[in-house]
Amino acid sequence: MIGVKDRISTVQTAVIIANFMLGSGILTLPRIIGEKVGTPDVWLTVILGGGLAILAGVIMAKLSMIYPEQTFYQFNRLLIGKWMGGLLSLITIVYFFVIAAIQLRTLNEVTVLFLLGGTPTWAIIMMFMWVSLYLLTGGINPIARLFEIILPISIVIYLIVIGMGLKIFDFNNLRPLLGQGIMPVLKGLETTSFTFTGIEIILIITAFMKKPNKSVKAVMYGTAIPMVIYLITVVIVIGSMSVDAVVSRTWPTIDLVRGYEVSGLIFERYDSFLLVIWIMQIYSTYTITYYASALGLSLLFKWKLNTCLFLLLPIVFLTTMIPKNTNELFKLGDMVGYCTIYLFGLLPILLLLIAKWKGSRQG
Amino acid sequence: MNPHILRKSILFCLSILLLMVQTGCWSMAEIEDLSMYVGMALDEPEETELEQKLNELGYDQPKKNLISYTVQIVNKQGEEKSSSSGSSSTSKPYLNITETGDSLLQMEREFSTRLERPLIGNHLKVIVINEKLARKQNMNYLLDFFLRDNDIRLSTVVLMSSERARDTLEAKDNATIPTFRLASMINNRRRSLQILPPVTLTNLVGDMRSHTSYMLQNVVATEGIVKFSGAAVINGKTQTCKGLLNEEEALGISWLKGFGVGGVVKITDEMTKQLVTFEVTQMKSKINAKVQNNEISFDVKIQFDARTMENWSKSNKDFDDGFIERMQTAAEEEVERVVKIGLGKIQKKYKTDIVGFGKALQIQHPKQWQHVKDDWDKTFSEIPITYSVKMKLTDNGAKSTH
Repeated sequence: MIGVKDRISTVQTAVIIANFMLGSGILTLPRIIGEKVGTPDVWLTVILGGGLAILAGVIMAKLSMIYPEQTFYQFNRLLIGKWMGGLLSLITIVYFFVIAAIQLRTLNEVTVLFLLGGTPTWAIIMMFMWVSLYLLTGGINPIARLFEIILPISIVIYLIVIGMGLKIFDFNNLRPLLGQGIMPVLKGLETTSFTFTGIEIILIITAFMKKPNKSVKAVMYGTAIPMVIYLITVVIVIGSMSVDAVVSRTWPTIDLVRGYEVSGLIFERYDSFLLVIWIMQIYSTYTITYYASALGLSLLFKWKLNTCLFLLLPIVFLTTMIPKNTNELFKLGDMVGYCTIYLFGLLPILLLLIAKWKGSRQG
Repeated sequence: MNPHILRKSILFCLSILLLMVQTGCWSMAEIEDLSMYVGMALDEPEETELEQKLNELGYDQPKKNLISYTVQIVNKQGEEKSSSSGSSSTSKPYLNITETGDSLLQMEREFSTRLERPLIGNHLKVIVINEKLARKQNMNYLLDFFLRDNDIRLSTVVLMSSERARDTLEAKDNATIPTFRLASMINNRRRSLQILPPVTLTNLVGDMRSHTSYMLQNVVATEGIVKFSGAAVINGKTQTCKGLLNEEEALGISWLKGFGVGGVVKITDEMTKQLVTFEVTQMKSKINAKVQNNEISFDVKIQFDARTMENWSKSNKDFDDGFIERMQTAAEEEVERVVKIGLGKIQKKYKTDIVGFGKALQIQHPKQWQHVKDDWDKTFSEIPITYSVKMKLTDNGAKSTH
């Protein structure tokens, strides 16, 4: 079913996972985790959360390796039956396009606040959707190749922009280490799930891999890159602003960049750099979730992929408009985060057990 | 016509059309059509003459007079004139405009009814707050608008003025933009210990939320001349100004915090009764929190390097070990003297920890901190604090002997 042209390499798989993960989360990450943790130990939470994410990713990769050439939408019915599998596919489809919608809405909120004050919402969102649709109609391979271009550019620029935040860095803001014990660190753990959303794509793209047996490796690298970037982000943002400042700011990472000015380099202010590369990251997250959702629809109802791509356009657009304000947007994000824990943190373990059990019965 | 060529030419025309929409953005605003404000002053309510006249002319909106809000706008026309003529211009390169009321945003929008160009805050550099206003109003309220606004950067520096804050935004001559003068003066920290590290909005966000006390640089102004002098103490709990530190007291706090990057120490040599001045090249301090039987105490170790830069004493042995030792002891005593003055003021009079003893306790004894943090100001005022100063005289400048 999947043609040779649609095959992607192991590196590309890792890049897709990393690009999916690095999305809207990065601008709010220090606040979201900081709120729950409350102490400067947020970075420990990120390491632990990343570890758990890698674990979950490995489980999902193992699961998909049992059914080569098949995506999650196809093999779940082999495991839990046609109806249950269909339902699970449907939930997954909704899950993916809700993420796509959240990404779009966050993009809109930030661009209206910081970049394009007078541009109407529909103009920002529709442009974005159309440009993405253009890429999507090309299939997984063009998506992967574009992501390969986007990822290194954004990582380099991001690290430079964030690194200059060291100008206002104060090590005391990260102390004391574990001042209130390990409990606060663990309390923040569940909030990291939304930031590590993205590993679940391995359930779908393993089917496209040239070497599906390398998917464990891909998922590990794909998660490790964002984890390191998140780690650098929380260390620098909290180290520069203190955890108390971070939790009272809506977009702490942007505030870090708006908190320093560099004289002597060509530019004094780097906010627009951050926003530009961040828009590219939103684009990639949006594109891949949209693709996953449309692919699910097409496999579930046996429709053509292109039909599904166009069909989803109005649905995603309307979903984007559902949150009435930023608070509701963040709440929706939290909800999706919890879904991630159950849907792709715990469920795959169960599915893997079923698959093993079935396999041993057949063997 | 060949359909292939026709298709190509249509595509060509379309792509030219596409170029038309690529030239700019919808939200574009020409920089010449904007009033860029660079400085701001918050004062006690006191309507200017102009305001009173304007109020008489028209019906004013309902408001309480709580704050007088002044913004300083860079006057581009004035600047252009001065640069083209080459000689001193007749108009000032800036424009101060004051409005009295309660809501800062409302006042800022009021300015639009008096100016032809809308205000933008992207280049705001300095906010000066009047000390008496800060005694009455919570800093959270005064700064809320600036922290919410999407134009204003968090790198904006906040200063305090014991005089009328808007006076610090005045200059005598026609070449100075007062805000830029203030912003540049902050960079002179290598020269003087009187200049405290700038406190930006970023710093304030954290301190305000964690109820940490802090100090702000005090700036005084008279006849269009400004001077950094002392500091204002803001209490963490109430977020209001507790009072002022004079120059010597503020100096003591600078030594305790050890955050200086330069400055001078002046002593009188007890043997020759003559003046010797050192330039500080390096300085650091370390606060050690000790907890014994639930009793908290602090010990501060201050260390600094300096070189002799002025010596009136007729000793012709600058390199003599005895001389160096004598000078070191004298300088250490001098620093201890100002530390004592500064510490006494904040610990006993203001009962406000602006040095960061609380943070040191939190880092070194996090459990103990949890017990005392709610009533820290009171606890702090009763804690014994010891300090010791160690000076290293590194060299004697370019001159060796008399």
